[in-house]
Amino acid sequence: MALLLKQNGFNAYVIVGGLAAWRKAGLPLEPVPPADMVKLPTFS
Amino acid sequence: MTDLLSLAARHGYLLIFFIVFGESLGLPLPASLALVAGGAATAAHTLHAPAVLLLAVSALIIGDSLTFTFGRLAGWALLGLLCRLSMNPETCILRSAESFYRRGKITLLFAKFVPGINTMAPPLAGSMKMRPGQFLRFDLAGACLYVAAYFTLGFVFRDFLAAITRGISTASHILAAILFTVLAIFLAYRIWTYKKSPHNLVPRVAIEELALRVRAEDQNVVIADVRSHGYYDARAERIQGSIRFEPNNFAEEIKILPKDKDIYLYCT
Repeated sequence: MALLLKQNGFNAYVIVGGLAAWRKAGLPLEPVPPADMVKLPTFS
Repeated sequence: MTDLLSLAARHGYLLIFFIVFGESLGLPLPASLALVAGGAATAAHTLHAPAVLLLAVSALIIGDSLTFTFGRLAGWALLGLLCRLSMNPETCILRSAESFYRRGKITLLFAKFVPGINTMAPPLAGSMKMRPGQFLRFDLAGACLYVAAYFTLGFVFRDFLAAITRGISTASHILAAILFTVLAIFLAYRIWTYKKSPHNLVPRVAIEELALRVRAEDQNVVIADVRSHGYYDARAERIQGSIRFEPNNFAEEIKILPKDKDIYLYCT
């Protein structure tokens, strides 16, 4: 993803360790806003 | 194989129940062979047909109900975990969910005949919030079909049992060899693509370095969440202040990204 962004002219960086490392470092998190949730099909 | 048949004759009902139950939980046990042996033992008047059928179907329903409940409790985490092994993890969850949504009910009917699918179908139905009553109806129909098929095979062809079990055993070995070969090729492909990919061309930034810029309220920083997993889970969290970048919608998403800022990407 980052490579694709760089190829499209963006200054993209990858955060080492991702969300897990951020959480482990005790840095602030927030709930994902409902509008950003992806609705997967369900039977009910 | 002969050992299994003699065991079935000696311990009968209990053995059939636990082998079928174990397989429904995903353990590598030969439930089909146990059912064939059960059918043959019934034909030989060693076991009673109603008891064998009832125990086998009950074992499947109990096992499947447990994994179905596990799927309901685990939510999308189970599918997310499995999708990490796929060719394209970013789209795997969505495609798998849509596919099972379209064919899930039919899949439940025939899943037990397909190794791998038999273990995955009930928890997936649970993850997708299939109503328990509906699940039980389809699963019961599938269980009856599966048990009846192998039981009848053993019952009708009990004189050819050795040949049948040899055939099933050979087919299992061939299937296992094919699956192993496919898995080995897939792993080799993943290693090859990883080594070939120019991932080292993208700069990587440590958490501490980014945290300093965030604390300084640097306006040139954009943190983008590119996970495809996690966003399906209602309790999902993300880095405070980050934006959503939907990897399945790359062409549209880049239109709103600023080119004059540093974009930090993260996933799980």
